[in-house]
Amino acid sequence: MSLSQAARDRIVNDFIPRYPSKRAALMPSLWLAQEEAGWLGPEVFEEVGELLDLHPTDVASVASFYVMFHRRKIGDRLIEVCENPSCFLNGSDQTYARICDQLGLDSGHGGHGVQTTPDGKFSVRPTECLAACDYAPVVQVDLRFYGPVHGADVDAFLANMEAFSIEGKPSVSMANGPQAVPVDGWEAHAPPAPGSAE
Amino acid sequence: MTQTPPVADAPIQHGAGQPLPWEPVLMTAVGREGGRFLPDYLLRGGYQGLTKAVQEMDPDSVIKEISDSKLLGRGGAGFPTGVKWGGTKRNPGPRHLVVNADESEPGTYGNRYAIDADPHGLLEGMLVCCFAVGIQQAYIYIRGENLYGAEVLEHAIKEAYAAGYIGKNILGKEGFNVDISVTRGAGAYVCGEETALMESLEGRRAQPRIRPPFPIEVGGGLFGRPTVVNNVETLMCVPHILVRGAAWFASIGAPACPGPKLYTISGHVNRPGVYELPMGTTLYDLIYKYAGGMKRNQKVKAVSPGALACQLLPGTDLNVQMDTATLTRPPHWHPPFGPVGFGAGGIIVYGEETDIVQVVARAAGFFARESCGKCVPCREGTHWMQDVLSRIAHGHGRPRDLGILEDVTRNIGGRKTLCALGDFSVNSVASALRLFRPEFEAYCNGHARSSAAGSGVPVAAG
Ligand SMILES: Cc1cc2nc3c(=O)[nH]c(=O)nc-3n(C[C@H](O)[C@H](O)[C@H](O)COP(=O)(O)O)c2cc1C
Ligand code: SF4
Ligand code: FES
Repeated sequence: MSLSQAARDRIVNDFIPRYPSKRAALMPSLWLAQEEAGWLGPEVFEEVGELLDLHPTDVASVASFYVMFHRRKIGDRLIEVCENPSCFLNGSDQTYARICDQLGLDSGHGGHGVQTTPDGKFSVRPTECLAACDYAPVVQVDLRFYGPVHGADVDAFLANMEAFSIEGKPSVSMANGPQAVPVDGWEAHAPPAPGSAE
Repeated sequence: MTQTPPVADAPIQHGAGQPLPWEPVLMTAVGREGGRFLPDYLLRGGYQGLTKAVQEMDPDSVIKEISDSKLLGRGGAGFPTGVKWGGTKRNPGPRHLVVNADESEPGTYGNRYAIDADPHGLLEGMLVCCFAVGIQQAYIYIRGENLYGAEVLEHAIKEAYAAGYIGKNILGKEGFNVDISVTRGAGAYVCGEETALMESLEGRRAQPRIRPPFPIEVGGGLFGRPTVVNNVETLMCVPHILVRGAAWFASIGAPACPGPKLYTISGHVNRPGVYELPMGTTLYDLIYKYAGGMKRNQKVKAVSPGALACQLLPGTDLNVQMDTATLTRPPHWHPPFGPVGFGAGGIIVYGEETDIVQVVARAAGFFARESCGKCVPCREGTHWMQDVLSRIAHGHGRPRDLGILEDVTRNIGGRKTLCALGDFSVNSVASALRLFRPEFEAYCNGHARSSAAGSGVPVAAG
């Protein structure tokens, strides 16, 4: 049995009653199973399927649609580096390369798959926009947000990730409160306002 | 609704009676001790919109107030919220509300900060919607990566249940019962598309549904029931509209699509971040006045005004008003691909240093990975674009590749697919080819730009 009794109870007593159909409890159930085991294997598909009256193949099919559900074992910690435009413009390629180098992984493999260190401690992969672009380049470790982590910051980051945490922090622009305030003397540095655009 | 075109010496109006600088409406919790918790929300006037709705108004007058405010959905499509609520209500119950907190469009991040700052603002907007439309079960669908946001929401929901704002006979109103829960996605951009989102919530692969029936109709919504799908920011406007009135809201910013807007700006600007400003603020003001201008003082080369899904604007077009109405009609319309697009107001600014070919190659990779695979043009075309662009970006482009690219964009774009992801995937590619063709040609003729400073990408020479 791979699902704990506590997880089964939670699925039956908490997740299933939330929705008018049993199947709808699938997403939270898969998350819970992954939290316990670190990944989702054939046993989980069978056990979750049994609880939700779904064929295991059906469960696996749904799980395989979503990149955050791991269908094989990954490292103890998962490091994901955003590679989308705002992070890219701010040097995320160097961040990714330096992280891979420091962990002895191949930064030039070019794919989007997960790479895991031989000791099983870390997995690394590029990821899509994490919706924290003001802190670009952004890194997510075990679903926690960190930024900005430039290539030159990587060694310090790997030594002490919490120093880079941005969880619960306001946007870069709102460090002094929510008001959008014109930057002092902005006119001096701005090009002349364009004429009528059209 | 007509709008005066922007001219240089007539800056946009910040709304009748609005003091300058602009007073934020949606983000007032930022910087307050305990701002995201219930006690502070109540100090800031929280749950007064809901109280007013329940005690002084009836459901239909709430819908009328939202319609009169001219609130347009902030999730991308810009659909009038009052119309959506009224339409859902005309269909028989049970009905559902789904909050779209999937926010995965590269360059868009207002929802994440809004949830972090003020989860009760969202819950109150949801409860008003449930009251107006007659809904007892509401779901928040949040992208899987945003675990912190899900935790913030779970906590706020607990607080609201304990205080009687969620649950049975809310605010003493007999029969006003609402349950709210959070469902986490697991990493699929297409889940932001409302019908894909509902598939995912129902425990399926997130592939968009064929419409009609539409979500507001029987058979088209969540669990086959009439469903309102609204974006986080849309719902956060709602309590303020009830408290301050539709006329106040309608007077803010662009007349055709008024209200406060959480613009998110990133890329090569000095002060990236969320800026709450009136809808219709110009791109020039956003970049220079608020976001502190460009890194290393470079010129603006191009802008994605509605994040990666929209077309690129040239750096000469900064006077454009940033709102749904302006960016979805001529001259910001390019047949056969349609409007430039405003999306959810995520602005990516590219300085002159940017190697646009590299950016577009990434965009193509993103959409190829995120296509759900249901429609042939999107499934196959996005991979074609990715292959060709990746070849070009690695310096192995051939002169005929640009023709192939253009062909592929025309075969995907122009509403040939089930959902808008297909159109999104061609927008940046087609507009970059239109605006920066010589750069693509240089790549294909063996003159790849060498590593562009600041773009951070070593370019393999061809
Ligand atoms: C590919 C795709 C992704 C989308 N992503 C989002 C999203 O992340 N958040 C969102 O609110 N709307 C998104 N939308 C728009 C939704 O389908 C829908 O129009 C919106 O949630 C409605 O809410 P509103 O009326 O409050 O704007 C997306 C649409 C498409 C086609
Ligand atoms: S356009 Fe693309 S993402 Fe949308 S339904 Fe078709 S294949 Fe899926
Ligand atoms: S582009 Fe990296 S967080 Fe948005």
